[in-house]
Amino acid sequence: MAGQGLGRIDDTVLVREAQRGNRAAFEELVRHYDQAVLRLAMHLTGSEHEAQDIYQDAFLKAYKSVGNFRFECSFYTWIYRIVTNLCLDHLRKKQVRKEDAPVATDPTGEQYDVLEQVPDGRAGANPERDLMRRELGTRISSALEKLTPRERMVFELKHYHGLKLRTVGEVLNTTEETAKNTLFRATQKLRGALADMR
Amino acid sequence: MKCDWVKENILLYVYNELPDDARYELEQHLPRCTDCTAELKSSRKFHALLSELPVEEPSPNLVAASRMRLQEALETTKQGSFWHRLIFDPAAWLRQVRFAPALAAAIFIVGFAGGIATTYKLVGGSGSVSSMISGTPSQPAESSITGIQSISQEPGSNQVTIKYNTVSTQETQGSLNDQRIQQLLLFAARNNYNSGVRMDSVDLLTQQPNDTHVREALVYALRYDSNPGVRLKALDGLGAYVKSDPRVRDAVLEALMNDANPGVRTEALHLLDPVRADSSVRAVLQRLAENDQNQYIKAQARNMLAQLPEFD
Ligand SMILES: [Zn+2]
Repeated sequence: MAGQGLGRIDDTVLVREAQRGNRAAFEELVRHYDQAVLRLAMHLTGSEHEAQDIYQDAFLKAYKSVGNFRFECSFYTWIYRIVTNLCLDHLRKKQVRKEDAPVATDPTGEQYDVLEQVPDGRAGANPERDLMRRELGTRISSALEKLTPRERMVFELKHYHGLKLRTVGEVLNTTEETAKNTLFRATQKLRGALADMR
Repeated sequence: MKCDWVKENILLYVYNELPDDARYELEQHLPRCTDCTAELKSSRKFHALLSELPVEEPSPNLVAASRMRLQEALETTKQGSFWHRLIFDPAAWLRQVRFAPALAAAIFIVGFAGGIATTYKLVGGSGSVSSMISGTPSQPAESSITGIQSISQEPGSNQVTIKYNTVSTQETQGSLNDQRIQQLLLFAARNNYNSGVRMDSVDLLTQQPNDTHVREALVYALRYDSNPGVRLKALDGLGAYVKSDPRVRDAVLEALMNDANPGVRTEALHLLDPVRADSSVRAVLQRLAENDQNQYIKAQARNMLAQLPEFD
């Protein structure tokens, strides 16, 4: 998404203007990144509503603190840091909620998570054709949810959004090596969880 | 030994993250080893399986709604510490224009010359900020344009006269195809305090909407200009591009949904008629047909939807 097209206004110029309090410049910056932010947040949360909240929090935070941006990294990295931090918070909260969620016992004596049984409410336009796909999607989603928030984030940025591991490391304030190891761990867990599907 | 190394790196290979030499080594090994080939196949399969969970693009509605909500919040939000450390008065700065001259000057130089280094400096005493742009000494507008006074076109020709201020007012003449003239027009369209001048420059720019910079300036005017007449002019210039340029289509869609002026919205609606079958356009039309405040737009959106063939 970043850096495409001829004649695109340079981020650096816009950032400097935003730092001087120019709101139009800040809004132009928002437009450079906001679709990518929504895409990421929607995929992570599975909800437009929650994605919108993350969007709002992220850009308000960016607006308030853009004065402290020192051009030590690209603005792209900076804004992604804010967004991924908010997403990580979101994932952590969700995990806590899941741990507190009522656990029931099914007839075979195995415990299952009640919340996981609730349909997600997104009705497909063509239920018959979509059924398989949705079942698959649900399986993948619940496998992803079993990752730790950090593993999930690394996997999300690498697999679904195609960021380079070096960038993933930068965004998550860690090294490329650590990002790589986290990706390995996440992949192993996912392969385990989805082993019967291959 | 070799196989262990390959298995450790196969995931990076699938994700295109192996350095060239390692990739070469791995590719040399694969045809000679069935185990590792099987491992690669299984990694690829896993990769494809995970990709069955699609990454959806946010709908134009969601994008527009999110932007609107953010804009509302920004109205009442103060920026942090850096803001207060500034030596000039930011309120006065904001009152001047919706888009500051320093930025506009930088924009068109960057836009045309591409990547010229820009530096800013604070001008002491007066408390205002001016931009210093290095390089290309031949540009008339380079460091110190403070505003465009007037723009006029010779009747029956494409000669344009532009009066602009640097420290003192200057005047320049040239053909519409002249890059220097175009720069000044772009500058004026984005930047001038006087809406009549913005109107003139947008009007002239619409004569060359093929130029991507011009189109960008028109999109900018459509989004940000405070004067509905200027926005309408910009819309007219963009109309021919709703089919071929998705950015133009998005901007027109945005105007249709959010513009404060019903005339601008109506015009946007008409311009979108040729692309009404486009999914993003259709989604917006459906929303308008359901619950738009403006009865005319509501009815027109219904009409346009009714003319669409049923599918999906
Ligand atoms: Zn081998």
